[in-house]
Amino acid sequence: MSTHPQTALIPYLRDELNEDERTRVADHLRGCAECRESAESLAALSAELARQMERMPVPEWMSYRAQLYRKLAARGQTAERRWWHPGLAWGSIATAGVAVAALILVLTIRSGPSTPSVDQLAVENEMAGADIGLLRNYPVVEHLELLEDYDVIEHLDELPPVAKQDDALRS
Amino acid sequence: MPELSDEELCRKAAARDRGAFDQLVERHQARAFRLARAVLGNDADALDVSQDAFIRLYESAHQFDGRSRFSTWFHRILVNLCIDYQRRTKWWRRMLPLASPDEDPQEPGIDPPSDKPGPDLEVMQRESVAKLDEALKRLSSNQRIAVMLQAQEGLSSREIAAVLNCSENTARVHIFRGLTQLKKMLREDQTR
Repeated sequence: MSTHPQTALIPYLRDELNEDERTRVADHLRGCAECRESAESLAALSAELARQMERMPVPEWMSYRAQLYRKLAARGQTAERRWWHPGLAWGSIATAGVAVAALILVLTIRSGPSTPSVDQLAVENEMAGADIGLLRNYPVVEHLELLEDYDVIEHLDELPPVAKQDDALRS
Repeated sequence: MPELSDEELCRKAAARDRGAFDQLVERHQARAFRLARAVLGNDADALDVSQDAFIRLYESAHQFDGRSRFSTWFHRILVNLCIDYQRRTKWWRRMLPLASPDEDPQEPGIDPPSDKPGPDLEVMQRESVAKLDEALKRLSSNQRIAVMLQAQEGLSSREIAAVLNCSENTARVHIFRGLTQLKKMLREDQTR
């Protein structure tokens, strides 16, 4: 092996490598005193570290657990309160009320007199133009039979009764 | 009655078996505290964050699917909480570089282990623990976590990779560099 398998040394000592890797590292260690020394010192340091950790000061476990269970209980209560606490419920209702009032206000303001949109103006202009065209041709329209018929229908009640009309015709 | 495995206890804790949860806490409290202590660098934060990890364990025990070992899963929770905690408190630590919860006289003291070896040896041990503590603080966060998980917890490189959310090769590099740095620092300390 051309390079030192430094990062594989600890996994090798802990038997974590697959067979190929293990064979490669073992072959290398047979011929490399530097890596053998490195592997031994790293393993010794790791073991010493574990021993020293055991000596590190630790809390008094009874009070540690008591504090932990207090935290856990407080957390459970907070989670419950989140859903049914009356104060919170009234707060939510008040917030919802304010939101609805704001929505109504916005809708009211928007539905008041407003400047017509460009499209609306264009349609209105077109309709006005069509009206003007119709008026320009009024003399022609005036003599249409349809309009005369309308005129007759409109004055039907002013015509004399049919019998009177026949007498008048006989005489 | 045979002792239940961590995995079985976790499944019971998921079903809100408080006794099973208590057993898990008792089994892992010391190692969880020490790992948090090594990552965060002080007792008060380690106490707080390791307790939070147990709370998280209780609340999410149902998510443990048994595909990994319990210890890998739990350490992942703990390490993530430590990293989150460091991230959250980074800005004010930078603002107040002299503030250290360990120096707070109001902070409740932490008792040394009960098996007292005698005054002289105790002083020597305390000194070597303090030196190791200092050396650990000078490692990068990932190196510190990797070294601790390897040495104290006996986790494999693959399990450490799962905890750190990195590749196995990267985890091996963290372990190697962390141990090499520690060796160098402790050697320098001896020659002084």
